[in-house]
Amino acid sequence: MDKNLSVAQPVLTAQNLSVERGGQLLLKDINLQIARGMITMVLGHNGAGKTLLMQALHGILPPTSGNIQGIERHLQKMVFQKPVMLRRSAEAYFDFVCPDVSISQKQHWFHRAGLTGRMNSPARALSGGEKQKLSLITALASQPELLFLDEPCANLDFEATAFVETELLAAREKGVTILMSCHHKAQAERLADYILLLKRGRIAEYSEKDRFFSDAQSEAAREYLAFS
Amino acid sequence: MNFLEPFVIALSLLAGFDTELYQVIGLSLQVSLTAVTLALIVGIPIGALLATQSFFGHSAVLIISRTMLSMPPVVIGLLVYVLISRSGPLGFLDLLYTPQAMMLAQFILVMPLSIALSHQIFTALHSEFDLFFSSLGLSAFRRILTLLAEARYALITVAMVGFGRAISEIGAVILVGGNIKHLTRVMTSSIALETSKGNLAFALALGIVLMLIALLVNLLSHTLDQTVLKEPGHG
Repeated sequence: MDKNLSVAQPVLTAQNLSVERGGQLLLKDINLQIARGMITMVLGHNGAGKTLLMQALHGILPPTSGNIQGIERHLQKMVFQKPVMLRRSAEAYFDFVCPDVSISQKQHWFHRAGLTGRMNSPARALSGGEKQKLSLITALASQPELLFLDEPCANLDFEATAFVETELLAAREKGVTILMSCHHKAQAERLADYILLLKRGRIAEYSEKDRFFSDAQSEAAREYLAFS
Repeated sequence: MNFLEPFVIALSLLAGFDTELYQVIGLSLQVSLTAVTLALIVGIPIGALLATQSFFGHSAVLIISRTMLSMPPVVIGLLVYVLISRSGPLGFLDLLYTPQAMMLAQFILVMPLSIALSHQIFTALHSEFDLFFSSLGLSAFRRILTLLAEARYALITVAMVGFGRAISEIGAVILVGGNIKHLTRVMTSSIALETSKGNLAFALALGIVLMLIALLVNLLSHTLDQTVLKEPGHG
């Protein structure tokens, strides 16, 4: 059973990572390495611990035990499942998240996302898809080395999902390491280099994408593939 | 004297810009606005700190501010009186029966309110933005500045509630101000005195002004509430 995948030049390494909340062990003895410049897709049923794992690896959720080593926080960015918008215009929101990006670069990103006409709109007035696009372009514009995305395509339509996927593949081409959770097997097949399957807070399987989909080693992975 | 006569005289005093009347109104506004401004300057950051940071004495500050919120104003006036009376620890400041003493009493009256209400506002905002701010690596100072900007409308409402509490208070300001003519006589204390003297017109004129202020504060509060409700993503 593949649980402790060893990768070349890991960008992040977690050792014996556990997270306990309210007396419940929600993540248990996670040991993993995240491959540099690759897309690692975190799969698992609801409550498997995908969001907690991403938050713990990103450093915004203190683990109960274990440690995480890797690149510094300022070189990481996170896109949340429900984008958090401030009470200001979309452009001012962009400036808040990416204060060092030039005006021309900012315009480039808004144009790329098809949001040029929405720059002066209140960020909280954008549609769900527009908010997620804004959230993604602010994360990408700040040129992170490691990007976390927590189910970024949940509740997005086809067009917005296509935009997210295109941008993620382009980011990977530029060397950005991506750790993303999702529920869609098809999306994981399209994007992932590696698959990390969580079950009840533990790593059930961690392997290269092709191997995961064609020759899953664990019972949990076979069960997941059969029912998702 | 018929029933309406005091009202007519009151309106003529207001329309004729009676010097004594407007002096009382001016002092009331000066005392209350100063006290509320200072209470907000001190109280809002404390409320924000309580909502966003854990520190030694956190619960104690919260419990004390909530207790003071329900303390009768006259008791606060009594405490301030003891503090600033000649034999009190702050007696050397010679504040008793001055507008500054009234400001101090109103400051102590409004500060717990500004702490408790802003704590409530910032707690809600903090739970919404905490992970986002952590992800961006914002310092505690920048978090609080951003939360202040996010809470701007709600905080203006806090200011108006505090002003309403301060300007309508009587017990504390009489105790520490002494209701001295041309020096510490404010609207509420003046209404009590003039009514006891039978000068209903003067008292009514001040009552009308207080009611107009209350109406204005509530109108502004209502307008702000409507603005917030219309804000995208509210709720």
